[in-house]
Amino acid sequence: MRGQRRCDIAAGAFIALLGAVVIVAASQIRGDVEERLPPRTLPYVVGLMTLAGGLGLAVKSFRFHGEDPSVQWPEKDGWIRIGVNLLLLALFTALMDPLGMPIATGLYVAGAIRYMDRRRVLTALLTGAGSAAVVYYLFIRLLGLTFPLGPLGP
Amino acid sequence: MLFSWDLLLTGFADALSWSNLFWALVGCLVGTLIGVLPGIGPSAGIAILLPMTTMIPPTSGIIMMAAIYYGAMYGGSTTAIVVNIPGEASSVPTAIDGYEMAKQGRAGAALGISAISSFVAGTLGLVGLTFFAPLLANFALAFGPPEYFALMFMGLSLVISLSGRALLKGMIATSIGLLASLIGQNPLTGAARLTFGVVDLMAGLNFISIIIGLFAVSEVMINVERAATHIYATKIRGWMPTWAEIRQCTGTMIRSSGIGFFLGLLPGCAPAVTTFIAYDVEKRFSKHPERFGKGAIEGVAAPEGANNATSSGGFVPLFAFGLPTGPALAVLMGGLMMYGLQPGPMLFQTNPKFVWAVIASMYIGNVILLVLNLPLVGFWARIALIPFPVLGPLIILCSVIGAYSIRFMLFDVWVALLFGGIGYLMRKLHFPIAPLVLATVLAQMLETSLQQSLLISQGSWLIFFNRPIAGFFMALALASIARGIWLQVRSHAPEIAIDDADE
Repeated sequence: MRGQRRCDIAAGAFIALLGAVVIVAASQIRGDVEERLPPRTLPYVVGLMTLAGGLGLAVKSFRFHGEDPSVQWPEKDGWIRIGVNLLLLALFTALMDPLGMPIATGLYVAGAIRYMDRRRVLTALLTGAGSAAVVYYLFIRLLGLTFPLGPLGP
Repeated sequence: MLFSWDLLLTGFADALSWSNLFWALVGCLVGTLIGVLPGIGPSAGIAILLPMTTMIPPTSGIIMMAAIYYGAMYGGSTTAIVVNIPGEASSVPTAIDGYEMAKQGRAGAALGISAISSFVAGTLGLVGLTFFAPLLANFALAFGPPEYFALMFMGLSLVISLSGRALLKGMIATSIGLLASLIGQNPLTGAARLTFGVVDLMAGLNFISIIIGLFAVSEVMINVERAATHIYATKIRGWMPTWAEIRQCTGTMIRSSGIGFFLGLLPGCAPAVTTFIAYDVEKRFSKHPERFGKGAIEGVAAPEGANNATSSGGFVPLFAFGLPTGPALAVLMGGLMMYGLQPGPMLFQTNPKFVWAVIASMYIGNVILLVLNLPLVGFWARIALIPFPVLGPLIILCSVIGAYSIRFMLFDVWVALLFGGIGYLMRKLHFPIAPLVLATVLAQMLETSLQQSLLISQGSWLIFFNRPIAGFFMALALASIARGIWLQVRSHAPEIAIDDADE
């Protein structure tokens, strides 16, 4: 799906669906309807705005028949690179609690640099170790931010 | 609170003592560092350092705290311009054009104009604080919930209009921003909304995580996709703005100072709001509005000026009424009280020497910040020379630290990641990001002021039209909406144009 028109129709339909879900969810919010502004009112209004905006975009794009520019989606290699980087980031986030922020940081930074440039093994290791040290000494020790410490904790 | 030249000059004499100069310098350095570092904003920075100031005299302590506050405002733009990470919502408009300039190899010029505009606006704001504080403080008191609601509503409608011909996409982005901030508990009643039974969602989505995801994470994804060797494809050209560019931005700096200062007087009117409004006003004033969003230097000068003028403006209600206009000033007020000083009208009568020394020190602090920041421009701009395979993971690391340290919840990091994906898709499909950000930032204030207004009016919506200030803002907002609808009806183009509406 490279054409802007078809992408906009799909995006509009998805957003309209999101608006419909919000309207249904808003109808289930409990609250006193006698209040000046019942708790469900704003979610309703915003849900309606989303639904109307999504439908408007889909319909406008559907009726458009001019020159259709293409959306610059990545090639297959690009998708793989994004996927692997997102996976590394998700792993970093998931490992932050069990391994602690400094160790997870070191592993993530070293791993991500190594993946993006296979020649930079030493740079990856040194930057990973340096980042872990900065997180530990600057953010945790000096600034006192309460990051998870994992095995480095007391 | 009365102005007197004698008191001001005595204040300068105190502020220029070696000890106070030293602590102002320390505050400026620490503040700049706080602004640059992810995960630690001015409020947290002041709060962390507050207990340490007990070792120094009260005047020096407050001079240092104030310097941290406005120093952080200077530093906050650096990451927004160089690597597209706006650590605060107020830096978002700066990132729009600043990062575009950086991509054109002009990070130095963007950082330079940011420092100069911050200096000019900060100093003009201080002139306002020095000479007109009592008068202006009364203006701030004229703002009640209906005026706030109308102001926020106007801000939102103006920002949707920034979407150019892609108004439907701007409206959708606004809706998504509002939806994101409605998730969680109702601020007045505590009722759960749109949480779908997920416990983590009860605390709501923090807007800083959303901003970090939309800007920084999605930017890294774009660069990863194209296997970038460097974050900018172009070479760095010029470390400083030219004289012609500085002259070109003179009007911008003065206008944004006015906007930032007057809106900064209003409690709760955060720099996030004033910077967006200053950006929008500048785009409307510009003879070449089509350059905005594509690296217009005025697009950097306007929000940076407004940001610093807002900081100066915030001191007016703080000193005059003991009313902090934002979280950082609330912490600073805590510092004043820690020293046994009660901010308010009596402060000027009981401790004039102290107040005027602090005000005078701010003028000096602004000069210190300019002298500190201009030579550092080259250093920050060189960050772009780091190869992307190394810089990319470090940007992500800063983003994770920034998102996590807001509430120390892993959930916030996942939110940043999710919005990174949303931001990536929005960029690909040409959805404007600014309306989403502003809606997220404004939503809670908008809702609270709406509820309070309807309580005051016993349910009548006319309250937004029959009070002069509220009515004025509502009229502007409605005019902006009507113009948008008119453009939409006339336009037969596809929804892809983001910044060319005013061609």
